[in-house]
Amino acid sequence: MPHTDLPTPPAASPWRIMDPVRGQIRLAMALAVLAAMAGLVAMGLLALAVQQLLEHPGDWPWQAGAGVLACTVLAYLLRLTAFDQSHYAAFRLETLLRQQLSRHLAQVPMGYVESVGAAALAKVIHDDVKALHVFVADSTPLYARAYVTPVLTLVALLWLDWRLALGALAVLLVGFGVLSLAMRNRQEMVRRYNAAREQVSAAVVEFVQAMPVVRTFDSGQATFGRYQQALEAYRAMLSEWYREAGFPARFSMALLNPLPTLLVLLWLGAWLNWHAQLGFATWLAVLLVGTGMAEAMMPAMSLSHMVDKVKLSIARIGQVLATPVLPAPARPGQRPADTSIEFEGVSFRYTADADEALSEVSFRVPPGSITALVGPSGAGKSTVARLIPRFWDVAAGSIRIGGVDLRDLDNDELLRHVAFVFQDTFLFADSIAANIRLGVPEADMAAVVAAARAAQAHDFISALPEGYETLAGERGAFLSGGQRQRITIARAILQNRPILVLDEATAFADPENEAALIAALSELMRGKTVIMVAHRLNTIRDADQILVFDRGRLAESGRHQALVDAGGVYGRLWRSYETARHWALDPAGRHVAVDHEESGKTP
Amino acid sequence: MTQPSITPWKTTYRQLLDSVGPHAPALRNSLAGLAAAAVLQGLALACIVPLFVALLSRHDGAAALAWLAAMSLLALLATGCRWLGQGFDYTGRMADATHRLRTRLGEQLRRMPLERIQDKRAGEFNAMLLGSVDENLNYTLTILNLILAALLTPLATALALACWDWRLGLGLLLVFPAIVPLYRWRRPAFGRGMRKLAEANARTSADVLEYTQGLPVLRAACQAGDKAQRLQQSFADLERLQTIGHRKGARPNIVITSVVELGLLLLLAAGVSWVAAGSLDPAILAASFVIVVRFGEPLATFVLYTAILELIESALERIQALLAVAPLPVLDAAAPPNTHDIEFDRVSFRYAQAERSALEDFSARLPARSLTALVGPSGSGKTTVTRLLLRHADPQQGGIRIGGVELRAMPAEQLNRLISVVFQDVYLFDDTVLANIRMARPDASDAQVEAAARAACCLDFIERLPQGWQTRLGDIGGRLSGGERQRISIARALLKEAPIVILDEPTAALDSESEVAVQRAIDALVRERTVIVIAHRLSTIVGADQILVLDDGRLVEHGRHAELLENEGRYRRLWEAQARVKDWHAGRYGMA
Repeated sequence: MPHTDLPTPPAASPWRIMDPVRGQIRLAMALAVLAAMAGLVAMGLLALAVQQLLEHPGDWPWQAGAGVLACTVLAYLLRLTAFDQSHYAAFRLETLLRQQLSRHLAQVPMGYVESVGAAALAKVIHDDVKALHVFVADSTPLYARAYVTPVLTLVALLWLDWRLALGALAVLLVGFGVLSLAMRNRQEMVRRYNAAREQVSAAVVEFVQAMPVVRTFDSGQATFGRYQQALEAYRAMLSEWYREAGFPARFSMALLNPLPTLLVLLWLGAWLNWHAQLGFATWLAVLLVGTGMAEAMMPAMSLSHMVDKVKLSIARIGQVLATPVLPAPARPGQRPADTSIEFEGVSFRYTADADEALSEVSFRVPPGSITALVGPSGAGKSTVARLIPRFWDVAAGSIRIGGVDLRDLDNDELLRHVAFVFQDTFLFADSIAANIRLGVPEADMAAVVAAARAAQAHDFISALPEGYETLAGERGAFLSGGQRQRITIARAILQNRPILVLDEATAFADPENEAALIAALSELMRGKTVIMVAHRLNTIRDADQILVFDRGRLAESGRHQALVDAGGVYGRLWRSYETARHWALDPAGRHVAVDHEESGKTP
Repeated sequence: MTQPSITPWKTTYRQLLDSVGPHAPALRNSLAGLAAAAVLQGLALACIVPLFVALLSRHDGAAALAWLAAMSLLALLATGCRWLGQGFDYTGRMADATHRLRTRLGEQLRRMPLERIQDKRAGEFNAMLLGSVDENLNYTLTILNLILAALLTPLATALALACWDWRLGLGLLLVFPAIVPLYRWRRPAFGRGMRKLAEANARTSADVLEYTQGLPVLRAACQAGDKAQRLQQSFADLERLQTIGHRKGARPNIVITSVVELGLLLLLAAGVSWVAAGSLDPAILAASFVIVVRFGEPLATFVLYTAILELIESALERIQALLAVAPLPVLDAAAPPNTHDIEFDRVSFRYAQAERSALEDFSARLPARSLTALVGPSGSGKTTVTRLLLRHADPQQGGIRIGGVELRAMPAEQLNRLISVVFQDVYLFDDTVLANIRMARPDASDAQVEAAARAACCLDFIERLPQGWQTRLGDIGGRLSGGERQRISIARALLKEAPIVILDEPTAALDSESEVAVQRAIDALVRERTVIVIAHRLSTIVGADQILVLDDGRLVEHGRHAELLENEGRYRRLWEAQARVKDWHAGRYGMA
């Protein structure tokens, strides 16, 4: 669970989550209260009808009967409307919260998105928001009823006959007394229950996801054992909870059932009635409304367990929304003078307690030049590339484009100048044309095709059954990694921005695609200021400037030959690159180091 | 799932009993207890009728007292029966039953063909199922109690009431059970609505995931937030469907309730008429009032919980479906193979739901201790070859043999002992470094584990970890680099000492420096083994004894590197393309 890494904001009332639809929810609750009142009146009128019938047998008690019917229908309609209103409000709230969350994620540091994980955030936006339903839609009318009906009923009972009222109240109080006994350790139990559940979930995910590994390596003990251990702990916890809460829970449920209240009212009422201290009509009225107290509370209580789970979702939504956004420019409206990039004393760490990912890095990329970032993994080169689109703000120092600090640039202005091609290509589940047009919605089809041509993508796109209208994204998994990458390059070509940041753009291409990809990249880089992160050192031999990073520091910089001759970090990297390049598998231990140029008759 | 099918309640009941395994008799008893409680409660309520008659019409105090006592006794008995019935939950039987069920499902996952759980969606689905078994089943008894109370109690009362006035009793008998056919009549539509909503939710869920995954790209293109039109559209669509679904689905439920309520009201009105006409004792009518208003609440609760009943039903169905998947059959087990040459004999394979074969008439012989490379574009069938060898599934045609023994004739453990795999994506478990390596051979001594780690170039970085060998990998999360993780997985494979090794692009995702170390580890792993390697970088496999070039599921070329270059075919084109790329460097003038 990535959520555990996040700071937990002070627990606010879960009701605050409904603020955007507060009015409608209040309406729904008010309607539910009115429905409960109408129901009570109907019961009273029913008793009145019986009394009239007893007094004047043979006369149809028209007025009271009509009153019963009217109140019942009214109660029903009110309840239905309350139910509708709370549901529509809940649906509205889902949309509003999802919009708010997606908007918020567009403004927080990308680092936050990466550290929490796209999948976890998607779960918050979809699953957690969806989980609110039972709370917002189902429980609000029931809550209203649960709080108001018992009070109204008690008032009605006291008015009818205080002795019977006290009898009914006594049953209720004993029931709740025992129930609170059952709930005594509830908070602690819920906490332990959730902890045990979470362990089970983690074990399940590990067990299922790693199944291929489990099958090949694990004779069964380790992974299955962990799965079983988590299950055992969970069972023990659950059994303990049930055992501890078993008696009071069952006892209170037995008491809060309408039957005991009814019995008390019957015994008491029969005795009073027999001794002529209680009119039959009053007694009947008491019997009709009397059990309403417990009844109204039961559904709300059984809902409370589900609402408890909702609280976790509310907390997670709150955490995401509480993440601070990147500050807006203090002096907006500035324009970069040219397409140079400058890092000045830049230090950066991903989280407050992490080591510095970059320390005091300074360099300058002149307009129209090509700069390569190299270094061992974790050295900071990708961090540099990702600071330029302002996925994070630097901790110290500054980054300037054309002389303007990134923090003083409007987001739109920044993006007018910089295009990015990332290592992991991402295509949306939309047509290929729409994917290329992303960010340039006004581009016509001719421009899209031209960009695709330049990116060496036109041929394979045209060969697809529906050409440029073919759906890409997950549903278009038929595209190879290299083809997908060329579509993203076409996107960058169409965007035609003067500065280009490439983050290992060729990492995942197979050999046949790679050649086309390289051609596409060459096209894209023409005449631009380029910063590229590179693993394959031979691709950057002609770069104007190579920046060599090591443990977050800029260790060396210069051109290829000079750096090789200097024999520093770059020299070491170059040597291992050459070694890796010439490695060939050989189970027999013959060790035939194969050099490309010798063994193949390639140009 | 295309047809809106309704599971008969009998089937659901059988599946439920099956799911709780050895607790089935106890569950049956418990349900009987709950049913008895519902009936007794109905009879207790019916006692109000003679009570009122005794008090009001006959002024018979002794009879009234007797009926009050009878009612109290019946109520007490009902409480007792319910108490015992709920015991299934409270004595921990349900917890134990779900525990057993989950263990059973876990074992089933280990047994069933891996192909069936390989695809990611199925994986998530299984994880969800395993994770939520108890959530669904734990409510079962509560729900069944409510349903029994809502259905049996009125029934028992109605029958008893018929003894005093057959018209009222019959009326009640007609009105009340009407909820069942009404409910079952509405259910297909209700199910359709639920399904539509589930589909809409799945779409939004996918769109949301796409949004969060594509956020870097969207933000870089200035299309995030409110400008992400597809996402906002998806939200709006979902709300619209929810609203429609609510109108069509949830409201009929209330309508059903109200039909019954209205029926009761009519019945009571008829009762008033009968009293007015003098054919009904007003005491009986008054008692009926008190009884009938009791039924409204259980009825409303019942309808509220039917949605959960659906969840339980579908969970039971999925559990049964999962348990029903048969493991791959093992023919009469032959003796384990002595040699480790591999033979694919005219193998054809098609994935479930795929339109085309992933592998078509594929034949190859891999001599023992030889190196065979699989080469070809993505989707050409390379991975399928290795998966079939690992017996994730059986080919539809042809056979695969190791040392002359059919895979189908090998028990799973025997086959697993023969093969080590190094995947491109390394999976390490949330356990210590030591346990992660030792899992390949639980009886390995510390010295053996250390030797494997040394051969895989792991020792230096393991010793640098905060708790060395005892460091839990979950705690240090991303602190290990890709190369280091890969080396741990190679140490694991080394320790296993399997005679056959499969390498699935183990260095594709690494940088050069890590790559050199991983390459050294692989050199140790492949020594004297039968090796199958999937490689993109052709220079790594020029020394292979045999290169199999696959395209579109077919073997198009095979031979040694030099022979294949002579052929001027597919392999040669691949080789040349790669050579061109190697010479590319980013310079001021584009392609150099």
